Amino acid sequence: MRSVKLLLRLIRLQIRSQLQYPASFILEVISGVIIMGFYFVAFALTFSRFDNIGGWSLGEVAFVWGLAEFSFGTMDMIFSGFDYDAFGPMIRKGQFDQLLLRPVNITLQVFGSRFVLRRLGKMIEGLAIFIYSLTLIQVEWTAFKLLYLPVLVVSQVFFFGSLFVIGATTTFWTMERLEILNIFSYGGNEVMSYPMHIFPRPIRMLFTYVVPAILLSYYPAVYMLGKTDPLGAPAFVSFLAPVVAAAMFWLALRFWHFGIRNYQSSGS
Amino acid sequence: MTAFFATIRTSFRRQLTYRAANLSGLATNLMFAFFRASVLIALFNEKNIVNGLSIQGAITFAGITQALIGFLSFFSWYDVMHSINDGQIGADLLKPMNFFTYWLGVDLGRALGSFIIRSLPLFLIFMLFYKITLPDSFLQWLVFLLSIVLSELISFGWRFLVNLAAFWSPNALGIGRFAFGLSWIFSGFFMPLDLFPDWLANFSRLTPFGASVYLPIELFINSLTPGELLQTVFIQIFWVLFFILIDQLVLSRGVRKLVIQGG
Repeated sequence: MRSVKLLLRLIRLQIRSQLQYPASFILEVISGVIIMGFYFVAFALTFSRFDNIGGWSLGEVAFVWGLAEFSFGTMDMIFSGFDYDAFGPMIRKGQFDQLLLRPVNITLQVFGSRFVLRRLGKMIEGLAIFIYSLTLIQVEWTAFKLLYLPVLVVSQVFFFGSLFVIGATTTFWTMERLEILNIFSYGGNEVMSYPMHIFPRPIRMLFTYVVPAILLSYYPAVYMLGKTDPLGAPAFVSFLAPVVAAAMFWLALRFWHFGIRNYQSSGS
Repeated sequence: MTAFFATIRTSFRRQLTYRAANLSGLATNLMFAFFRASVLIALFNEKNIVNGLSIQGAITFAGITQALIGFLSFFSWYDVMHSINDGQIGADLLKPMNFFTYWLGVDLGRALGSFIIRSLPLFLIFMLFYKITLPDSFLQWLVFLLSIVLSELISFGWRFLVNLAAFWSPNALGIGRFAFGLSWIFSGFFMPLDLFPDWLANFSRLTPFGASVYLPIELFINSLTPGELLQTVFIQIFWVLFFILIDQLVLSRGVRKLVIQGG
């Protein structure tokens, strides 16, 4: 309980310092919304020259696109401390050693070490795309679907978060961020923005068996939107998202603790 | 002039030393090329040509954009900004070399290294997986090569200008993010401009961003008449000269108000 209070306090400090220049902060959030949103706009403009992608309409694509963007943005804010782009330098400069010396849970400290509030931009953008999708399509909502939606978002957040934790852990050994991990984190965000059956088999296999992104985006959406699945998977896979996310997060934390036990400082 | 070439050489070597990083970046860009190509193939579905763009052209687009992303380094580059913020610029200004020329040398070396170690291998591997289009005449190859050199010069000119914002604002990073985002929008990087509404495509082509990213791609995937080739090169040269001029102007103003904190 004490450590949770501490964590909230650390985050509050981060937020306060980032709001020092409110005008500049708001500008950054707005520019984030516009710039990241433009990828979707570019897709939508292109889409107008076609009528479907893999049998999905623009609204249906926007549904998965908005969800993935919103979840990734949320994760990118909460898990900022594990963002391996920033965590690598932290290891190199020996700042991580300072955290280790403090008598507080190290994982909570890393969570509190960085909190990038301007990721709100990506969250707003994702939400806007999702709302836009609801104006284009008629989802046949049931009570269960309405319950499953927030579960799905939380699952996606933990799914992406696991990848960040794994990415941060690898820098214990490499000292440098490994750009190749972007294939799964940012690449996962990218492929989850589309109906994933359009990808060729090797890419689909990678995102099913290595990093099971397809279970967090495509299959749940097939159920929610009532699409037929040309891949012919059994119906229950649409509901594996929370199980998969929990398993991945558990594995990521195990790996993280293993990394900390074997951590040798860079000595600088 | 020797100093300029020495700068290029040093920077080129530095770029080549990061072998693991280069390889890792190559793999990432290649995967994204596959993602984008898959999306375009799914969109085209059975169609062969949409608004003048062939499916092969669209696939080639996915490969080239990812191949050139590191070479052009268009979307994130804050080196000059950092040097202004941490005072390194003091030492750099004392060098017997124009500050702009110095950074141009550094960037050309970086780009050349990136081209050899990232762009070329990526595109060659990409060709193994997809049927793509290639320029159909020797002249077009030649103009393409000239064009990507001009692209890099435009890209550098723009990035240098954005970085100079650090002379005026302590929060230049935010300005930089916004400015680079803007260039992202009009560059034609996400989706082939040919598939955009015509007015937006034509406007984007005229901006320095479209001129830097999309014009060489068009040279690569379309068969253009000599007149069109010439026009492309002219637009690019215009932007190169434009940025050289503006950069020098803004730089001299910035340097005049530069204060380096002791440290």
